[in-house]
Amino acid sequence: MPSAVTIESMTKLFRVPFRKERVTAVRDLSLEVEAGHVYGLIGPNGSGKSTTMKVILGLINPTHGRTTIFGRDSLKVDSRMSVGFLPENPYFYKFLTGAETLRFFGKLCGLSKQRINERTEELLSFVGLEDARNRRLGGYSKGMLQRIGLAQALVQEPQLVILDEPTAGVDPSGSRRIRDLILDLKNRGMTVILASHLLEQVQEVCDRIAIMYQGDLVREGPIEELISIENQTEIILEDASPEVLARIETMVAEDAKAKLIRRGNPRTTLERIFLSETSGEEADDKS
Amino acid sequence: MSDAEPKTGTPSAPQVPELQQMPLFSPARAWAIARNTFTQMVRMKVFYFVLIFALFIIGAIFIFGRISLDHELRQIKDVSIGSMRLFAGLFAIVGTALLIPRDVEDRTLYTILSKPVPRFEYLLGKLLGMILLIGVSLIIMTAFFFAILYLRQVGLMEEQIAEAIERRGNITPEIRESIEADIRANGVSIHLLGAVLAVFLQGSITAAIALLVSTIASSTLFTVIVSTAILFIGHVQQTAREFYFEGAELNIGLERFLSAIVSILFPDYQIFNIYDGVISGEPVTTGLMGKLLGFAVAYVAVYLFAAYLFFAKKEL
Repeated sequence: MPSAVTIESMTKLFRVPFRKERVTAVRDLSLEVEAGHVYGLIGPNGSGKSTTMKVILGLINPTHGRTTIFGRDSLKVDSRMSVGFLPENPYFYKFLTGAETLRFFGKLCGLSKQRINERTEELLSFVGLEDARNRRLGGYSKGMLQRIGLAQALVQEPQLVILDEPTAGVDPSGSRRIRDLILDLKNRGMTVILASHLLEQVQEVCDRIAIMYQGDLVREGPIEELISIENQTEIILEDASPEVLARIETMVAEDAKAKLIRRGNPRTTLERIFLSETSGEEADDKS
Repeated sequence: MSDAEPKTGTPSAPQVPELQQMPLFSPARAWAIARNTFTQMVRMKVFYFVLIFALFIIGAIFIFGRISLDHELRQIKDVSIGSMRLFAGLFAIVGTALLIPRDVEDRTLYTILSKPVPRFEYLLGKLLGMILLIGVSLIIMTAFFFAILYLRQVGLMEEQIAEAIERRGNITPEIRESIEADIRANGVSIHLLGAVLAVFLQGSITAAIALLVSTIASSTLFTVIVSTAILFIGHVQQTAREFYFEGAELNIGLERFLSAIVSILFPDYQIFNIYDGVISGEPVTTGLMGKLLGFAVAYVAVYLFAAYLFFAKKEL
């Protein structure tokens, strides 16, 4: 099975107008995204994430190196049949309605009229915008725009979706909806490349991540491997009596090497409290 | 979709696409972009300008009808065709200048070009959309122009026949025929469509120029100014060329070469200037229309190709 994306020694330099020198946006980047994975690209602003995504999409040419999508050169237009893209803060055509937007992008992908109608219905339902189908995008909220953006990215049923800051400027509830959609895509076997500053969300949904800084890839690997502290172990108990806890502490104290670092109640997240208070949803994690 | 927990379940096997070959050019995709561009302009309410056009013609009847009854029909034609040229030029420059910068600003261009859409098709679609808009605007304006001209033509016939009867007591069928023929010669005629077609072709060239400039420029204002300057140069270039090349001591080959360069860089709009003749009632031949169509297609093709050369290399 070919990798969803391969980037081989990719460097991108940008010209500075009226000057000889060039700015390095990405330096000698090599990475591989396996099919079916959710891959996170993280890094501060200006680290080269968006440039990397644009190179993958063929929107800009790399200065050196090569990029492929499912084995095809990403500079070839036909490689884009298998890619969907949601740019950061998309606006789309404000004069089109949600349904018209999906039909327009369906036509660009060469779908038949019948398939376009089917996909429009499916996707409006998938992103929860059936009720807003005939409203112009000019009247959509930020979260709705991101969702219609995700829907257009999926219109031709691509096997790879690239999402650039899909939750930027979206409230926690909308952000969570988008996160759920990403997990849904993963469950369908799709490959997702996600760039986000919401590290908690990246941690929740990604299988593997790359950390970029000033155009360089500084860390890369499976998320569990990157975030685990190898010489520490976590045991979470429910309804443990003080006696049980005391026995465990005694056992640890008797061991020559083991050391108790911390004891206390795990915390829930601010996101869960916010959602519980604003949507009437039961806080599902009481621990 | 749930607001609560992420959906879980048995994950499907990774999806891998089948290899498909895409046609190099798809008229359906270019047409989808063209229709979308047309819809964009319509929903930006550009057809309100057609109302202003209607006011121009009504104003012309009101003003010129009182000044000179004899030349009223000629003045209506003059004002109408002049207004059509003005509006077609305005639509072509301002409308086209807005298209690409706005798509870049709103990042719509990213979503379009990240679909399997070659850059040439995107440009062609945008240009076709503008040409469609100019064409539909001209059809509406022509319908209004012809309706007004016909109504005034009928009105003038009645007025002049009544005047002749009042002056002579009675008129023979020959005199009536002669009055009607005089007025009809200045009234609605199929040859006026030749002038409208020339306006359309000129507008299409102007739109292609604005598209080319907007692929190089970084702002809408720059595109509008440069395209307007080219429009102006296009109207005077023939005169300037004659003045400079005939006065200079150049050999014929160099003169022709420079002349060709100038003609390509700046379209020679004088070629399309058949308006005065048509307004005076001169017929427009099929040969002339074929020649104008040929020039327009050649100019549009050259400017579109140049726009593609710049746009293909553009870093988005």
